[in-house]
Amino acid sequence: MSHRKTAWAILTLTVLALCLTASVPDAAAQKKGGVLKVGNLGEPPTLDAHWTTATITEVLAQHIYEGLYSLDARSQPIPMLAEGMPAVSKDGLTYTFKLRQGIKFHNGKEMTSADVVASLNRWGAQSTYGKTLYARVAEVRAVDKYTVEMKLKEKTAIVLISLAIPNNAAAIYPKEIVDKFKPAEKATEWVGTGPFKLVEWKPDRHIKMARFDDYQPRKEAASGYGGRKIAYVNELLWIPVPDAATRVAQIETGELDFADDLDLNAYERLKNSPGVQAIVAKPYYWLVAVFNKKEGLMTNQKLRQAWQAALDMEPIMKNVAGGHRELYRMDSSLAFVENAPWHTKLQGLPWNEHDRDKAKRLLREAGYKGEPIRFMTTQEYKWMYDFALLSKQQLEDAGFTIDLQVVDWATLVKRRNNSKEYDVFTTGMGNFYDPTHHIYLGPNWPGWTDDEELNRLLAELAREGDYKKRFMLWEQVTRTFYDRVPVARYGDLFGLRAMRGYVKGFDATLMRPRFHNVWLDK
Amino acid sequence: MATYLFRRLLALLPVMLVVVTVVFLLIHLIPGDPVAVILGPEANAQQIEDARRELGLDRPLHEQLLRFYARLLRGDLGRSYFLDRPVTQALWERAEPTLVLMAAALFVAVLIGVPSGIVAGAYQGSWWDRGLMTLALLGVCVPGFWLSLNFIYLFSVRLGWLPVAGYASVFQDPVAAARYMLLPAVSLGFNQSALIARIARSCMIEVLRQDYIRTARAKGLAERSVIFLHAFRNALVPVVTVIGITTAILIGGAVVTEIVFNIPGLGRLIISAILRRDYPVVQGVVLLTAAAYMLINLMVDVVYAHIDPRIRYA
Repeated sequence: MSHRKTAWAILTLTVLALCLTASVPDAAAQKKGGVLKVGNLGEPPTLDAHWTTATITEVLAQHIYEGLYSLDARSQPIPMLAEGMPAVSKDGLTYTFKLRQGIKFHNGKEMTSADVVASLNRWGAQSTYGKTLYARVAEVRAVDKYTVEMKLKEKTAIVLISLAIPNNAAAIYPKEIVDKFKPAEKATEWVGTGPFKLVEWKPDRHIKMARFDDYQPRKEAASGYGGRKIAYVNELLWIPVPDAATRVAQIETGELDFADDLDLNAYERLKNSPGVQAIVAKPYYWLVAVFNKKEGLMTNQKLRQAWQAALDMEPIMKNVAGGHRELYRMDSSLAFVENAPWHTKLQGLPWNEHDRDKAKRLLREAGYKGEPIRFMTTQEYKWMYDFALLSKQQLEDAGFTIDLQVVDWATLVKRRNNSKEYDVFTTGMGNFYDPTHHIYLGPNWPGWTDDEELNRLLAELAREGDYKKRFMLWEQVTRTFYDRVPVARYGDLFGLRAMRGYVKGFDATLMRPRFHNVWLDK
Repeated sequence: MATYLFRRLLALLPVMLVVVTVVFLLIHLIPGDPVAVILGPEANAQQIEDARRELGLDRPLHEQLLRFYARLLRGDLGRSYFLDRPVTQALWERAEPTLVLMAAALFVAVLIGVPSGIVAGAYQGSWWDRGLMTLALLGVCVPGFWLSLNFIYLFSVRLGWLPVAGYASVFQDPVAAARYMLLPAVSLGFNQSALIARIARSCMIEVLRQDYIRTARAKGLAERSVIFLHAFRNALVPVVTVIGITTAILIGGAVVTEIVFNIPGLGRLIISAILRRDYPVVQGVVLLTAAAYMLINLMVDVVYAHIDPRIRYA
């Protein structure tokens, strides 16, 4: 018997050892050195992470800056510049953050609580997510050199997630920079604590970042956007290449080591290109038609329901994805599958019904007389134009009259803020890490969803701290969403990236690319 | 001549004033908002309003125009909303790639266009004429971007002879600069060479019908001397006009070429500025382009006098 036990123990240990060996990358294989050339679609509007929600800024800035918290592979907050998780008072109104000691900014200065307090206050005054959190914050103060305390006006569940999200992030800057650039003014000096420091920004040529030699990685294993980050490459060279076809050609010839935001039609070509690895970026966006609920035709809920009932999403998604099944996903959850804590699996939702009779009935009930519905889209993002065009055809078959207005992106983002100028507009929804961050469910974003029931549920979600209760509330939000139809949710579209075969260590599961822990094997 | 030049340069001022005013009004009147683009897709209306105030975009249009004039008088073109630097600096940084591209493309256009036109005109109706004019027709018809993409596919992706895209300064690394510039210059210059070839051919044919050419032949001059010494120079005046126009067209044509070949020049700058409504940059580039157009025209007029002694400016 004991022999058998010993044998089982040896076997178990062997299997465990094998698993560990397989999961940990071969340390000897990781090489330091080289320049990683990344082709992206253009110039960021700024590198001030507090200032914009633009994706390109997020991607670049997250290599320079860090926040107190980051997100792990399950999109859960994990400590980054904070030593650990905060101490929360019993009444849930005081959060105490212990900072890591000896963390250096790229200018050589040590990070202290003064920098953190100043940065958080700036972020709270300017960032979309910061403003949401700061509406509930009474005070943020330095307790001592390495301790920061946040006092809340009311109990809320969104403190950690708000501090951890990478978009429009709560990045920590040196206090001197915060003092120099007030919240409404873009910072033009970019100093952080991240594994790469900014060396040079030559617009339309490149943004050059170099390894920050004084960077102190965390001890924990890399996970998601956080954990142990090591800059293996000497330099990151971000090259703006506005033409997608040129980016494809440059990755094929090896002029670029990594190319982001590629045209989905290039998928087959890249898959068959020697030395190139095509990467399907999941998730990318869920496609969405946003209804103007402040004034005009689409304030009528029946009309919005008719829109939702009329659409046959699968052919639309397939077409937008260039005919590739692996580049889109049919899903009704408001949170992506990859955002596991908030992904719902509710059955019987009125999504993708393609029920023309129901749509016609709802149109009759809405009292719709064929008035043209102004549907605004842009060709600057081909996928937006494609799904708007295909929707128009299906909707007109169901009895709608669609006035498709194609404008450039700058016009669209201006007009969508004026309720008199449109009825519906196209856009994409990225990953929202907390249910309270879904902008299209609230009254402050174009489309102006101001539904009593949704507002009540979201307020409760912001207050409630227990995950199970929050998830049930989130399911109620999802059901209410499909009844009120503040926006029409289409399927999930994936993005396309490509890299040369010698680029190693890249985490393809991340929604936005990160190049720490990436090395060149050539 | 000096008085003439001074008068012409003085005449630039009112034209420039009209150009900047029209451009200012056009770019501000078309819909679109730089602030909404800067702040990103998730910004709300309040944030947008705050940032508009910060940039002075909430002021009445006439007030913004007067401020623009005042800055212009001080030689200040303003500050880019996106690039975090003065417009003059942004223009200066991008002038070199565009000028190098234009010069290289013009060189290609003249190198192909003028000899082709002369040969076709001198041997009208021959196979040379038909072949070259068919090529010229193709050159006019084929869109520049299509040619560019095919060049990239053939010479860069398939054959690997030249880089796909990019730019190296001719002053820092002339060899790399030549490798980067060859495909853009040929694809941009080929289109224009077709126009030059067709004009050169017509002029050559017209000149070769003149009495003095018949006289030259009657004197027993060799055909080469007739063509190059007597006909060519007289056929050149309209060709110089076309080359001048071509240079001006290249400023516009460079936009597409710069995008496809990722050349960080003025063309790329204005496209991104228009798309993002970076008003000061758009105004700056248009002002510079308008000045370049007018100066090119002036240079063409000056060159006339050197080619044709009968032309004199009071």
